[in-house]
Amino acid sequence: MANGWAPFIGLVFVVLFCVGAWFLSPKGENQTIWRSTLVLSAASMYIMWAITFLAQLHPLISPYRKDLRDPEQFNRIF
Amino acid sequence: MAPTKDTMFRSADMSLTQLYISNEIGREVVSGLGELGVMDFRDLNSETTAFQRTFTQEIRRLDNVERQLRYFHSQMDKASIPMRSIYDFNNSFTSPSATEIDELADKSGHLEERIKSLNESYETLKKREVELTEWRWVLREAGGFFDRARGQTEEIRHSLDDDDAPLLQDVEQNGQGEAAGDRSFSVMNIGFVAGVIPRERIAAFERILWRTLRGNLYMNQSEIPEPIINPENNEESSKNVFIIFAHGKEIIAKIRKISESMGADLYSVDENSELRRDQIREVNSRLSDLASVLRNTKSTLDAELTAISRNLAAWMVIIKKEKGTYQTLNKFSYDHQRKTLIAEAWAPTNSLGLIKSTLADVNDRAGLSVPTIVNQIKTTKTPPTYFKTNRFTLAFQTIIDAYGTIKYREVNPALPAIVTFPFMFAVMFGDAGHGVILLSAALAMIYFERRLQRSKLDELFSMIFYGRYIILMMGIFSIYTGLLYCDAFSKELPWFKSMWVWEKRGDGYGATRVEGHTYPFGLDYRWHETDNDLLFSNSYKMKLSILLGWCHMTFSLMWSLVNSRYFKTPIDIWGNFVPGMIFFQSIFGYLSFTIVYKWSIDWVARGVNPPSLLNMLIYMFLSPGTLEKGVEPLYPGQAAIQAILVLLALFCVPVLLFLKPFYLRWEHNKARGLGYRGIGESSRVSALDGDDDEGPHLNGNGNGRESFGDDEDGMAMITEDIGHGEEHEEFDFGEIMIHQVIHTIEFCLNCVSHTASYLRLWALSLAHQRLSIVLWDMTMKNAFGFTGIPGAIIMVVVFYMWFMLTVAVLCVMEGTSAMLHSLRLHWVEAMSKHFIGDGVPFEPFSFKVLLEEDPVE
Repeated sequence: MANGWAPFIGLVFVVLFCVGAWFLSPKGENQTIWRSTLVLSAASMYIMWAITFLAQLHPLISPYRKDLRDPEQFNRIF
Repeated sequence: MAPTKDTMFRSADMSLTQLYISNEIGREVVSGLGELGVMDFRDLNSETTAFQRTFTQEIRRLDNVERQLRYFHSQMDKASIPMRSIYDFNNSFTSPSATEIDELADKSGHLEERIKSLNESYETLKKREVELTEWRWVLREAGGFFDRARGQTEEIRHSLDDDDAPLLQDVEQNGQGEAAGDRSFSVMNIGFVAGVIPRERIAAFERILWRTLRGNLYMNQSEIPEPIINPENNEESSKNVFIIFAHGKEIIAKIRKISESMGADLYSVDENSELRRDQIREVNSRLSDLASVLRNTKSTLDAELTAISRNLAAWMVIIKKEKGTYQTLNKFSYDHQRKTLIAEAWAPTNSLGLIKSTLADVNDRAGLSVPTIVNQIKTTKTPPTYFKTNRFTLAFQTIIDAYGTIKYREVNPALPAIVTFPFMFAVMFGDAGHGVILLSAALAMIYFERRLQRSKLDELFSMIFYGRYIILMMGIFSIYTGLLYCDAFSKELPWFKSMWVWEKRGDGYGATRVEGHTYPFGLDYRWHETDNDLLFSNSYKMKLSILLGWCHMTFSLMWSLVNSRYFKTPIDIWGNFVPGMIFFQSIFGYLSFTIVYKWSIDWVARGVNPPSLLNMLIYMFLSPGTLEKGVEPLYPGQAAIQAILVLLALFCVPVLLFLKPFYLRWEHNKARGLGYRGIGESSRVSALDGDDDEGPHLNGNGNGRESFGDDEDGMAMITEDIGHGEEHEEFDFGEIMIHQVIHTIEFCLNCVSHTASYLRLWALSLAHQRLSIVLWDMTMKNAFGFTGIPGAIIMVVVFYMWFMLTVAVLCVMEGTSAMLHSLRLHWVEAMSKHFIGDGVPFEPFSFKVLLEEDPVE
């Protein structure tokens, strides 16, 4: 499934972003703070997104509910 | 030398500097450095008491001026004259000259005298006024009694002659019976006492009088309608006028004594109505005179105070700075003969240029030919830890410093915490709606930053305000995690095409997967309000917590490598970091790997029941080499790989335990074999010792305080009393071994318990989500059930209730708890992996800090 490649594609983007953040951070005494904050934010946000994505890649259970009034309409709306 | 740029990653590079300051400009130099605020002066006179120090006189004088200024302030408060705010000045408090300080001291002395005398006269006048007012009331009320009583002396006489009259009164009355016909009280030998007494005492007063005089009195009283103001404490009290008639001098004297002891003020009233009228007239004219005098005094006082109020804040700041300057000067050693002050201070190496130029400036201004000399000293003493913070980093640095002072030049945990702290918070607080509330609160506080900083905030709000940038980051990340969790105020956000399609299944509805489609961002919204969403989200959040915990701990463990490389202790790498890392990765790294691996395999397509990871981990330790019976392996060769990993982890324990202590012993023995001895092992080198318990000084300059170089031959003076804090530990293998055993046990157990501890991310995010669902269902969902006008009214009411509860419970309370948990994850789980933290905090002499600690309004 092509879907499975999404985390890697995301990784490439995040790495590119991190490289960009590293070199484009404003110069001056706060450069370290800029770099660390941007890179770490991107990394942690990516990790959590990837985990969430992976958890749903091959789900072992599917949603189930009893109280749906009109599944057809529900499918159309959302 | 070319110092590298100081960043937040490590504490600033510090140098111990020595200053030789010409005595004449000592004060100017120190106050210039105080404005800079980058020098942490060491106390070179720690053996002298506060009273023996050089500048104690000056400090006392300044204390007195400070007291006078405080007195002005309290007087202004009393007169409710506002002080001109500190922010209204154009920050012109730069170091005033010594003469200006003297002038200020004189001026405040004079002003104090003047204010005091004005106050005293004002108070005396006020007291006089009160007395006169009371007298007027007594005259007026008592006059009424007299006028009423005048026509009734006969009746009084009669009643006195009554048989019912008490026995004693009767006896006393005997001698006077004949004179009673006269129409005057004095002739009847009836005296009277008139005065004023506080209303609450009147009952007690009556009772006491009745008992002591056995009823031999006639008392009349009336209330003064307006309250009387006590000038001493400005309190209002309501009072009563009383007049007591009795006869016999002794009884009158007794009544006088009793009334004085009860706090009554007695006034003389004349019996004669003519005289009384004169009295009243006189009192009235005196009162009006007094009132005008009072008004004048008051206005003079107010004018005086208003004049002071214009400059008071500036004076307070100046005096505070001046006092700080002298207190710092007291730390310097002082050479009486050579008129030179010697100071030692820690300063960031990068600021040395700035310090030197400041000193040169001060010298130029003073027009002194002797320059101030700055020396850098090499020392073995640990420099203080100093991080230059800005508005953004301050709060993050503070939460790390609250745990412990970072070791000098150690990796600063606050730098990654800028992201990880709010991110961990957001994992527990994941709700986009609540995140927006946090973010807007933070943005508002940042927008009104300047105004809020100047206003007085209460304790709780000032704490929140202090952490505004933390809240900002928390808000941003909460929105992000909320989007991932697909929660906004507990409702779903259907932004992408769902991967599930509903269809009728049994008595409910099941969802089938859209082939080849995975929900691209966050959790699929169709999980909302399903019957089995907890089943799914629990599994997801639990694994998320383990994985995030593993990432965070590995990340933190890596810093210990960075630290030991920086401090050049390779044994810490090989004896602590490497075995620790292998131990951690072979158990929990493997667990994380299997979690991701299990996700990435399409078990349904394979038609295989996926193995439980929990059981796998248990069996991995209980029976290494075999798998749980009747369960498919995750991957081929799983049993063998698990056995190897367990062996690897077990192997790391003795390495962790023994390598470092034995290496240190070997190193120590080698050094001794070469003939080195630790300092202090045989003989002490005196320069590093406390100076006074030494023998004669090395250079024979026996002033008992410092060992000075005696001329300019370039010999540096040794003023470093570094010996105080410095102990050369003897090598004790047992101690090191015990330390390492503790470290090993702690590390191995912590790997387990800390991983489990990250499950709080799951627990709190679950609780937060459930709570917001419950809140919605109890309020808004019910409100949607009504229609029409009542429905609209109910909706508005319920909406406000829901919103208030959301802010109070879900944002403030839940936010606090998530923040505390995130704090714990950083202090305990992350920082225990690398934090050394035996630093000394840098406490520079800075006017800014001085004024922040003790603000002038």
